[in-house]
Amino acid sequence: MEIIELSGRLKRPAVINEVEEEDFRGLTKKRYSFNWKPLKEVAAVYKLQIAGEDDILGVMGLTDTPEEKRIQIKLLACSVENQGKNKIYEGIAGCLIAYACRIAKIKYGYLACVSLVPKTALKTHYINKYDMVDAGWQLYLEGEQLNNIIVKYL
Amino acid sequence: MSIKKLLEEYTPEELAESFVFPVKLTARQKKEADIQLQEARAKTQSEMTEKGRLVSRLLQLRFRLEDYLNKKDFDAGLTFSYFLKEYVNLVSKKRKDFAKEISIDETLLSQFINMRRMPPDYMAIRLELHSNKIIPAEYWYRLVEKEREHQIKTDTNLRKKEMKYVHSTLAVAV
Repeated sequence: MEIIELSGRLKRPAVINEVEEEDFRGLTKKRYSFNWKPLKEVAAVYKLQIAGEDDILGVMGLTDTPEEKRIQIKLLACSVENQGKNKIYEGIAGCLIAYACRIAKIKYGYLACVSLVPKTALKTHYINKYDMVDAGWQLYLEGEQLNNIIVKYL
Repeated sequence: MSIKKLLEEYTPEELAESFVFPVKLTARQKKEADIQLQEARAKTQSEMTEKGRLVSRLLQLRFRLEDYLNKKDFDAGLTFSYFLKEYVNLVSKKRKDFAKEISIDETLLSQFINMRRMPPDYMAIRLELHSNKIIPAEYWYRLVEKEREHQIKTDTNLRKKEMKYVHSTLAVAV
């Protein structure tokens, strides 16, 4: 798994792990856009870092619905310096979404599904960027689309 | 953080590349969303091909292997034999046919699957080639190494047997 440092187009190896208790103190709303601490009560929270480095570049909260073989992305944010056209690294959100797909794939095999409820203004962009399928209120990845995003980002 | 405020600073495309925002649906909207997703997934699943299912199963096996290899501890249930058996099952081949496809004798394949023989390096390469590189040779290799490492660490019989060949030991200890 790699993210790209845009200044020199350098590929940097990235790792994703579950957020540890002591990480939550550093996951401030100022840098990671949301209040992450309450989410840990209802979701598994994951962090993306460059391999061997401590700084967290992206965070994601996932819930699991085993009876539907589905993982839902409840919340995702890149750190503030990795948002917009001046971001330092590219591919953080893609790697996090692909990692959600990996978790679903391990648990649910070929019936694995990853979904999210998009803001209306962003819906077409998730479809274009991640090849998500439109299911009305929700977008999802399953089957070929899910496999493709795993192969692209992981 | 409000999306309206962020849209003053970023384009929708940029936001989609950095965020998944929390969205609260009413009970009625949630019910509708669940039905829509169920219907859409039923369609996706009905269009899945056998090849697509096979890729999914191979990726599943690859990730299970990756996760096990990244763990420090040895698990006697997750050996080369176990994963090889899983692989042969998921490609839906009879052992005889699979052995033929990778040019080994069926008896030898059974010995690998039944843990009666440790696989040579060429098996890792042949399995990588057979899976069209979906499962890399290094994973099979590391699996065997993990098993060997556990064996050498825990083999008390071998230690007893080899004792007679060591006539002197260093006079220091740590």
